[in-house]
Amino acid sequence: MTALDVQAQEPDVESREVAKPRRIRFTGRLMAPGVVVLAALSVLPTVVLVAMSFSTVSLVGGFRLHFAGGHNWARIFSDGAFWRSWGTTALYLVLTIGLELVLGTALALALYRFARGRGALLSLLLLPMFVAPVIVGLLGRFLTDSAYGLYAWLLSQIGYHAEILAHGPSAFTAVVAMDVWEWTPLLMLIVLAGLSSMNPAVVEAASLDGASGWRMFRHITLPSISSVLLVGLLIRSMDAIRYFDIITITTNGGPADATKTAPVRLYETAFRFFDIGYAAVTGILMLVVTIVVARGFIRVLGRGADA
Amino acid sequence: MRRRGVTIVAGVGIAVALLWTLVPLVWMAISSFKNQTDVTAAAPSLHFGPTLENWTGLFSGGDAIGRNLVNSLVVALGSTVLSVVLGTMAGYGLARSRMRRKKDLAFWVISVRMAPIAAVILPLFLMFRFLGLIDTLPGLIVAYLTFNLPFAIWLMSAFFAQVPVSLEESARVDGAGHWRTFLQISLPLVKSGLVTTAVLCLVFAWNDYAFATVFAGPDAQTLPVAASRLVTSTGIDWGRMTAIGTIVVVPMMVAGLAVRRWLVTGLTLGAVTGE
Repeated sequence: MTALDVQAQEPDVESREVAKPRRIRFTGRLMAPGVVVLAALSVLPTVVLVAMSFSTVSLVGGFRLHFAGGHNWARIFSDGAFWRSWGTTALYLVLTIGLELVLGTALALALYRFARGRGALLSLLLLPMFVAPVIVGLLGRFLTDSAYGLYAWLLSQIGYHAEILAHGPSAFTAVVAMDVWEWTPLLMLIVLAGLSSMNPAVVEAASLDGASGWRMFRHITLPSISSVLLVGLLIRSMDAIRYFDIITITTNGGPADATKTAPVRLYETAFRFFDIGYAAVTGILMLVVTIVVARGFIRVLGRGADA
Repeated sequence: MRRRGVTIVAGVGIAVALLWTLVPLVWMAISSFKNQTDVTAAAPSLHFGPTLENWTGLFSGGDAIGRNLVNSLVVALGSTVLSVVLGTMAGYGLARSRMRRKKDLAFWVISVRMAPIAAVILPLFLMFRFLGLIDTLPGLIVAYLTFNLPFAIWLMSAFFAQVPVSLEESARVDGAGHWRTFLQISLPLVKSGLVTTAVLCLVFAWNDYAFATVFAGPDAQTLPVAASRLVTSTGIDWGRMTAIGTIVVVPMMVAGLAVRRWLVTGLTLGAVTGE
């Protein structure tokens, strides 16, 4: 290094040190508009939601909140339908996400075997993700209609004639199937990304050692995709409690509450029975579930950054 | 020998998955060209005289969907532009910030993004009534900001985090100001991230039904709501439904596949990268 270089660099170090506090101010200025808008859109509604949960809300002639103490909160303890809707939610989450994880992983492993044509196949298989959930629901109704639905007709050819969305178990199966149709591609995509980042040397070494089939999957593949599987699981859990369009448009919670998950019931409580204070209680509980899952998500991300 | 067996099983699996994936979509598109009798025929058939009556019917008469289409475009594009502009600035700030509570800020942003729609609708419904935003396009744009803005902040911050700080530092050394470094050095490097963020914001807003069905009356009705209004007590006009469905679905598929390479990053909020 020549003397000239040293001289040329010295002022830089200085200016960088001077620049540090200004730099923080710059990032702060950049963040400010977005953060302010986000605060208005999140803190305020949260406060209103909590206030609503402690009030009786009347909508006639403008809206008014009448303080009702813990009345709305106390009601959940004697409300069997409330707890059943959470049970339905849990079953719905476990079935949809479980199926999506298994099918998505299987599909990703299958696709991974085909280097040629993978791009085109992938594009076709991803299409359901872009379909508006409400259209998924309407399309599902169309396909399962016992009078002229394509899938109902196929089922009738093998002896199943019932109206699918009119019976509890078959209606539940149908809405699960629609969710699986729409979101399995996302899990497939996530697992595929995990498979692509696998260390080829490890796979090679394992196969030289005679590992194959199930053992290869169990001891080599699965551990290396476990972190992306976890990401997929967390993302889908938050989304599954976020969206309720498919159920609303197909069964609207019926028949006989067979598909009435917590968000569907909240919607009905608020906008059909106008029992808004009570609906707010469900809203807060759903928010808590999401926040717990989001904590997990952040933790997984942090672990990825350390590795 | 065993390897070939596995490959055959994989091939069959993919074929079945393709059928399961594509049959509903293709059937929807085909049905939109069937007349009333053919679309409700007891035995589904591919032999029918194709007609455009469902399609022409969408754009004429009292229940034309032209207005809904415009509403959908305005709210989807409006919320996307606002989210991407604010989100890019805040995302860059978040990625480069050295503040101590950075982790808490990030956690807050993701919590807002993932907040259950049903829980957000309730307070917004009261606030919008108070502010007179019910059944207006600005109201829907604001409602969509509740999920698109945190999404854009989070995702852009993940993309900016991949830009080496050294590049920015050398630009600063060369005398570029903060804004110039941000706009001319960092921003061009996340161009694909920017496009991905915009496309996904567009898809989320365009596909929304829950907010629109509560907040939009006759004036601000969007396409998904128009489709759902076809469900009446006397039955559903399936020819019309499949035509609207096709209009809702096709643009988003085109846009989504255009950013396929970054899709996994976008949809996992930056937690998983690359194909």
